[in-house]
Amino acid sequence: MASTQSYQLSDYLEKLPGTTFRKLYQQPSTAFAIFRRELPPLAKYFVQALLYMPDALLLSQLDIWVREDGKMARDRALSILRSLHIVQITPPSKDKPQEVQLTTNFKNSMRLALEGGGTHNSWGVPSNLPVDSSIDIPYLDRYARRKWEDILHYVVSSVALHGDGGGGGGSNTGPKTSVKDLLLAGRLVEPSRGIKSGITITQAGFAFLLQEANAQVWTLLLLWLEAADHTAGSLMDSIDMLCFLFMLASMELGRAYDTDSLTEPRRNMLPSLVDFGLIYIPSRDTRQYFPTRLATTLTSSFSSLRPLFSDPNSAPGGETGSLGLGLGSSLAPPIATASASSISGSKGSIIIETNYRMYAYTSSPLQIAVLALFTQLNMRFANMVTGRLTRDSIRRAIGYGITADQIISYLAAHAHEQMRATAASTGRPVLPPTVVDQIRLWQLENERMSSTGGFLFKDFDSTDEYQALCGYAEEVGVLDWKNDRKQHFFVSKIEQLRDYLKSRKKVE
Amino acid sequence: MPRAIRGVMIECEPAIKSIIIHLDSVNHDFIIEDCDETHLFVKENMMPLLKAKLEEHLKETYRPEEPLADSE
Repeated sequence: MASTQSYQLSDYLEKLPGTTFRKLYQQPSTAFAIFRRELPPLAKYFVQALLYMPDALLLSQLDIWVREDGKMARDRALSILRSLHIVQITPPSKDKPQEVQLTTNFKNSMRLALEGGGTHNSWGVPSNLPVDSSIDIPYLDRYARRKWEDILHYVVSSVALHGDGGGGGGSNTGPKTSVKDLLLAGRLVEPSRGIKSGITITQAGFAFLLQEANAQVWTLLLLWLEAADHTAGSLMDSIDMLCFLFMLASMELGRAYDTDSLTEPRRNMLPSLVDFGLIYIPSRDTRQYFPTRLATTLTSSFSSLRPLFSDPNSAPGGETGSLGLGLGSSLAPPIATASASSISGSKGSIIIETNYRMYAYTSSPLQIAVLALFTQLNMRFANMVTGRLTRDSIRRAIGYGITADQIISYLAAHAHEQMRATAASTGRPVLPPTVVDQIRLWQLENERMSSTGGFLFKDFDSTDEYQALCGYAEEVGVLDWKNDRKQHFFVSKIEQLRDYLKSRKKVE
Repeated sequence: MPRAIRGVMIECEPAIKSIIIHLDSVNHDFIIEDCDETHLFVKENMMPLLKAKLEEHLKETYRPEEPLADSE
């Protein structure tokens, strides 16, 4: 969806200036986190090779490490490394060949991260105080899940699908006002009168719901960083906030950390992080804080996020099965591999039959509300809901801005174990191919005409005039359609052409 | 001096195009210029109405084969 703003860490980082990166890389945990999460394998390889080189390396030498057919991957890796200010490359000149080396701060921090040492406290200071034994990993998981579900619920309940407000149904009070404000600021929901909850969900909000948990967390955190940037006189510095997030990401789950060793601004961030469910602070003793799984998996690569909060007993082999959706869906970007309610602790629960019937073994109001976005639900029992994927229900979802790929990957990620087992034993894709195809066809059907706003140029005095202006439009890249016979053409933007016409008029 | 007209360029199949032309024939209030077999230039402010009308029209002509109602 080009229309909705994307909230991804890489996009956010790309917009930062070089000075910010120099500050960020003063922290070993930050340098290491960015290395871990943002770099493709080849870029990681370059960094590792360059890390202990005493001097700059000739750029031509770098080519020796890359196979003939890997030029594109090399260029991509280098451009990522440059945009993240991890390497610097000397500008091309006649008398000196180009050289490449790691930027000083990144190199030093990365070495510190690998070798240890330094007094940067970049990995957090564990608390020496006795730890309450009831705060264990399952406890933290439950806590984080509840916090996060509260937020998702708030977004879902803004869908006015049913009289009861989208099956909100829970007894929870919803997230804190600060979180609600963030969701509003990020346009995931919009204020609206006449609805009980006072808000309605936006296209971006639907996309948010179907994302996998880690992407959701980052979306919210980036909104938080942006809000801090935009608030005048804000006490929080978004660079320091980002560093702190990376620090949390490097911490150990289930361990208590020392609150007092944090700087004042960072201590001020703790309440917000508690609201998001990223950390837990016992109410009796605020000198300790515990990072939850939401925090410690922040910088993990996508594949390791699959089992986030999932049942430890579920067969790990089954997870890979969901990747083989078949039918070209492997080409689809992995937008929503594991998704919204993988966090709700449920194993796969959805069964799809070839006749488009859907059975979901769930009692989670959240998952039911998400399913209601794109299925026509018929019945609800104590532990399951039944429904059907129909042309109308899919078209309605597409009208909301949900894509067919998002729906398909949601269904695949949440497929019932029985579906996976059958698929594995027969060597077929997990979802019935007919259903997957049909969902895509329903989407295509909706896109019968594409429209572009812009300007149509006509009534030219001469062929030369037409060709000159049309040629210019093509050159500046605004030409969309032309018809040489009729001497008409259509452009998406007019400003440059207007200037061009004006300047020509002057000449005449 | 050439003229520049503000509007929306629609690209669609010839079949859809003929439906739009049919819709336009009632009041002639959608189309500014019939460009070629697959392109139509239409008024910007009429786009939402045109989309709705087209949708309505397609609903009439196209009956999806919905499976039988649930027997549960």
